[in-house]
Amino acid sequence: MADTEERLRRTMMFVPGNNPAMVKDAGIYGADSIMFDLEDAVSMTEKDAARILVYEALKSQNYGEAELVVRVNGQDTPYYPNDVKAMVKAGIDVIRLPKVESAEMIQMLVKDVEASEKEVGREVGSTHVMAAIESAKGVINAAEIAAASDRMIGVALSAEDYTTDMKTHRYPDGAELEFARNMVLHAARAAGIAAFDTVFTNMDDTEGFYRETRYIHQLGFDGKSLVNPRQIPMVNEVYQPTEKEIENAKNVINAIQEAKLKGSGVISMNGQMVDRPVVLRAQRVMMLAKASNLLDEEGNYLEK
Amino acid sequence: MNEIVELNLHDSKVRLRWQNFLKSLDISNFSDKEVEKIDKTLGIYEDNQLVATGSLAGNTLKYVGVCNKGVTQGSRFNTIVNALVNYLFQNKIFHIFVFTKVKYSTSFQHLGFHELARSSEGTFLETGTPGIQDFLAEIPQISNQGQKRISAIVMNANPFTNGHRYLVEQAACESDYVYVFVVSTDLSLFTTVERTSLVKAGTGDLENVSVINGNDYLVSYTTFPAYFLKSTDEEIEYQTTLDAQVFKTQIAPFLNIKKRFVGTEPLSKTTKKYNEVLKRELSPEIQVVEIERLKSKSQNFITATEVRHLIQENRITAIESLVPAPTYQFITDNQEQLSHRIQEGMNINGN
Amino acid sequence: MEIKQTAVAGTLESSDIQIMISKGTNDFEIELESDVKKQFGDQITKVITDTLKQLGVTSAKIKAVDKGALDCVIKARTIAAGQRALGTTDKPEWEVL
Repeated sequence: MADTEERLRRTMMFVPGNNPAMVKDAGIYGADSIMFDLEDAVSMTEKDAARILVYEALKSQNYGEAELVVRVNGQDTPYYPNDVKAMVKAGIDVIRLPKVESAEMIQMLVKDVEASEKEVGREVGSTHVMAAIESAKGVINAAEIAAASDRMIGVALSAEDYTTDMKTHRYPDGAELEFARNMVLHAARAAGIAAFDTVFTNMDDTEGFYRETRYIHQLGFDGKSLVNPRQIPMVNEVYQPTEKEIENAKNVINAIQEAKLKGSGVISMNGQMVDRPVVLRAQRVMMLAKASNLLDEEGNYLEK
Repeated sequence: MNEIVELNLHDSKVRLRWQNFLKSLDISNFSDKEVEKIDKTLGIYEDNQLVATGSLAGNTLKYVGVCNKGVTQGSRFNTIVNALVNYLFQNKIFHIFVFTKVKYSTSFQHLGFHELARSSEGTFLETGTPGIQDFLAEIPQISNQGQKRISAIVMNANPFTNGHRYLVEQAACESDYVYVFVVSTDLSLFTTVERTSLVKAGTGDLENVSVINGNDYLVSYTTFPAYFLKSTDEEIEYQTTLDAQVFKTQIAPFLNIKKRFVGTEPLSKTTKKYNEVLKRELSPEIQVVEIERLKSKSQNFITATEVRHLIQENRITAIESLVPAPTYQFITDNQEQLSHRIQEGMNINGN
Repeated sequence: MEIKQTAVAGTLESSDIQIMISKGTNDFEIELESDVKKQFGDQITKVITDTLKQLGVTSAKIKAVDKGALDCVIKARTIAAGQRALGTTDKPEWEVL
């Protein structure tokens, strides 16, 4: 598990790597993570041009607080080595490797990333990685993949290739993804990293998108991969905590403060001891509340 | 999103959709002559409706049509032209033409195309490299060309006859320097390379004559796409006007050409029409000089058409008195191959 | 470095620039089409020539069709077209990026 502070990863927006208009504007929609795609969104003849475009954009554009991710081409393609090297040099936060099926693939990526870090003079270990799981083999090996390196920050399920591999296709109710979603999610939680759900491509089916997002929120996913910026506020709405959750979280935070003031090692609330998972959840709820603009400057709930 | 798909015009359903869409944009000529040459057709669908299309025939863009309803003006046009152009680039074709309605000229110019000529019916534009400036820069010039009397002849020379030779001689007499442009089209019995080399061989003794391959700019005007015109009359008018305008606005000023020599046309209606349009379009800047055609001993006009018919009829010796020695030599050396081309269906009528 | 073949990068889509590079005889010959040529023509030309110089190109003919590209896009497309023209796409010049 990468040693980073807990951060929100509700939305990971896909940006086609060879489209200057979209690369340029990627920062304005408020996505938690921006994923520049050098793989499926770029035709074979434009791989070089997309790599250079994303590189120059990363070097010169301001994407604010967003976590910057790039999906490189697969390790079985001739584009992979130059993709990795260029993105490490550009200072990308996270490299997402597609079609991951084993821990070895992540370890190989980490080795290549480290070599590039040394070559371009970037601090060794500062580039994080994540895995996209797109096959039955990848799902079965999700646990070892998620735990493959301490540079790992997350695993993502990619349903289009996965359902093809499973000899099915996507259905509105998502039953065909149930096992994969749970495997990926458990692998991520066991390794202490983030879990990203797959994309939902039918932009006309708003209801279906909400239904799927509520479902993966319920399961416990950190967030969802997105193909269209219009989906960002919809995901954020689903992930927005309720007033009651915020009140509870505030009580926990207050209890922590109190314990600190007392110099006590034990946090208690209503006579009960507060466990670490409860503390973490409270902190996460407060982060979500803040990101959803539900709190004023003093941390009080804003009536809407 | 403007997603590009390839349209297979051999599929009758697709073809009908495509035609109906273009008809709605007032493009209605789908003659075999125009459509058969298409190598590739792309389109953009929106809600199952075709909203933009464009085709390629060799390095020429054709049948570009766009509906702008509900989107930013020009965005679909840019996408479709971009896709066509990039397809050619990927195939290492870097020099691209478009023939289109006058009202679309500006849109193409915004995408880097340059207008080479226009008539009231249509325009002819190019983009990429090598362009017309590169073509012109490679044409040899004499010293002080700007002060000299420069003339030009444009001919197909299929093949080069004594009639052509006579025309060149007349021009050479009246000028300091003469450019003979051999039109570039491989729809002729004699290939462009063969025709050019026979003109060179047949004029080699004339010191002030330079033979130039017309390349992409002096083509057989009948090959100009005219898919967006309604009638054949319009077609000839438009094609010949465009041809004359390219010569007048692009080629003649660069080389200081002041006279264009043509043979009188007693036989072909199309060529007669062409000469009329030339006179109308080129003057007053360029003088069109008509030279009475040379007659053979039997008092017939010497034409390349007749020479081709004699080849077809295997009456080779009858050709000797009609053509310069190098042409006759070539025909006797290659009689078999020429007959073979005629048997293969090469059209020997026409000009 | 010598231009080996004509090459193009970039598109005619909004916010992009299409750059075509071919062999030139001396120095840089640039033909630019842009709606903002009056205001930014010099700047666009400068980014293109500076980038080509960094690639080691000393002479070339360049045709550029600008659709409102940012400097970083102009630079990226020039590098891509330049490397394609030089035949060095597989071994990028990392120092130039």
